[in-house]
Amino acid sequence: MTPKERWLAVLNKQTPDRIPTDYWATNEAHQKLMAHLGCTTERDLYTRLHIDRAIAVAPNYIGPPLAKNTDVFGCGHKTVQYDSGTYNECVSHPLAQYTSTEAIDTHYTWPNPDWYDYSHLPAYVAQWPDYPIRGGGSEPFLIYKKLRGDVQAFMDLIENPDIVHYCLDKLFDLAYTNTQRIYETVPNQIDLSYVAEDMGSQESLLFSPQHIHTFLLPRMKRMINLAHDAGVFVFFHSDGAIHDIIPDMIDLGIDVLNPIQWRCQNMDRETLIKDFGNQLIFHGGVDNQHTLAFGSIDEVKIEVRDNINILNQHNRYILAPCHNIQAVSPPENIVAMYEAVHELGTSI
Amino acid sequence: MANLQAIADNVITGQAPAVSEAVQEAIDENVPVQDILHQGLIAGMNIVGAKFKNNEFYIPEVLIAARAMKAGLELIRPILLEAKVESAGKVCVGTVKGDLHDIGKNLVGMMLEGAGFEVIDLGVDVPPETFVESVREHGVQIVCMSALLTTTMASLQTTVEALKAAGLTDNVRVMIGGAPITQEYADKIGAHGYAPDAASATEKARELVAELVT
Repeated sequence: MTPKERWLAVLNKQTPDRIPTDYWATNEAHQKLMAHLGCTTERDLYTRLHIDRAIAVAPNYIGPPLAKNTDVFGCGHKTVQYDSGTYNECVSHPLAQYTSTEAIDTHYTWPNPDWYDYSHLPAYVAQWPDYPIRGGGSEPFLIYKKLRGDVQAFMDLIENPDIVHYCLDKLFDLAYTNTQRIYETVPNQIDLSYVAEDMGSQESLLFSPQHIHTFLLPRMKRMINLAHDAGVFVFFHSDGAIHDIIPDMIDLGIDVLNPIQWRCQNMDRETLIKDFGNQLIFHGGVDNQHTLAFGSIDEVKIEVRDNINILNQHNRYILAPCHNIQAVSPPENIVAMYEAVHELGTSI
Repeated sequence: MANLQAIADNVITGQAPAVSEAVQEAIDENVPVQDILHQGLIAGMNIVGAKFKNNEFYIPEVLIAARAMKAGLELIRPILLEAKVESAGKVCVGTVKGDLHDIGKNLVGMMLEGAGFEVIDLGVDVPPETFVESVREHGVQIVCMSALLTTTMASLQTTVEALKAAGLTDNVRVMIGGAPITQEYADKIGAHGYAPDAASATEKARELVAELVT
């Protein structure tokens, strides 16, 4: 099977020839791995480690010129240095000062879907005929937090619901149109869309189920319907301890649950399989906070084995790191993860 | 007549103006400031912490409660200073070098303040030497450090080592937290305490201060 066939087998509840894999990494971690293996291209790396990478497609920005270190939403960014690399973090929030939707409407220009060009997508997709293609989707509360600042954004859920509703409508509309245009530009070629929102901390949900129902679920449902109407599978990403909201996400129609941070509260693999095993495809599961980053090669192998034994009970598991692999994770551990799943996940 | 229960209740529901009003009323009626603090503000935040641990409250509810508590605290702070009312302890909080994530650190700071601690907020991306200075200059008893990222966890260790090198760990306790942090990691780097969430952090801080006193 090709990587694409392998993913589609799992997505369509059929049996793949082996457990599919996926790959997420920061640039620093990726470069370390490429150097470690002597790979020169992405395709080399995927072939070498049997990675069935979902290839991402996105439009190109062609809108008004952006100020330095400023994104399309007007949020300011800063490069922050850590020991072995950098992160680009949002440090200024263009909607922080406003106290009404009228003021935002008067003073702020929302990005327009016409600021994006999609014309390169057919040629790009054609380069990856054997790989699953992902594109479109939404993660508006993440953007909302950047627009307002984290603390204000959280307090807005209680104190300024009208501002949250107004902004999320704008952000979801942009995501919706963007997704629609991707589907139209490469019809029947997108396999999955991310409908994401980080709802969990290490210990519990970040905000209440009521707030999730009020602000996010109806809008996420619209995105999910758009994807399903186009024959696209829905990949739901939320970090953290989100067990309490998974039943609602299943009712909403998600197909894939990511990233399975099984060390978080109430997210252990056995519980997830017991509670939702028949209803979801599990994607991720290799712990990025401890095992991949600080574990031994043997511990990585054991985790891969356990993940396969527990999460693949229904042939509905795609193995991947729980988030972007970080530069602290030794390349040897990453190689061990993919070699172990290739060895153990082939005779399923 | 001043109503300390109303102060606590309005802290719990995050009504900052109502807390200010009730605290001012209590001040005007010469209610002992310790009672306003302990039976009003701290009592309210204790309930908030319990509800947070119990998944009845989430981050938004805690944030507005903490802001209401702060509104009341600002009004009584000058009187507390004047009356030389002792705080539960002096702590500094900061997100370590290389890391700008501060929601967790802010929640810990707010909960500690709501538990009667004097809190010095060092902000984010804080280098080890700033933690050291804070202990030297302000007589901090507990250093609270946060790291969200696996790549910045190493800064926790560097800071513990800097505090040791400065000879400050005998009279100071170090507490750490953040998404990838565990008790095991705290033990490994020689931190005295770890808390998985902001409510537990106040309990841990009380324990650590008691250790210093005895």
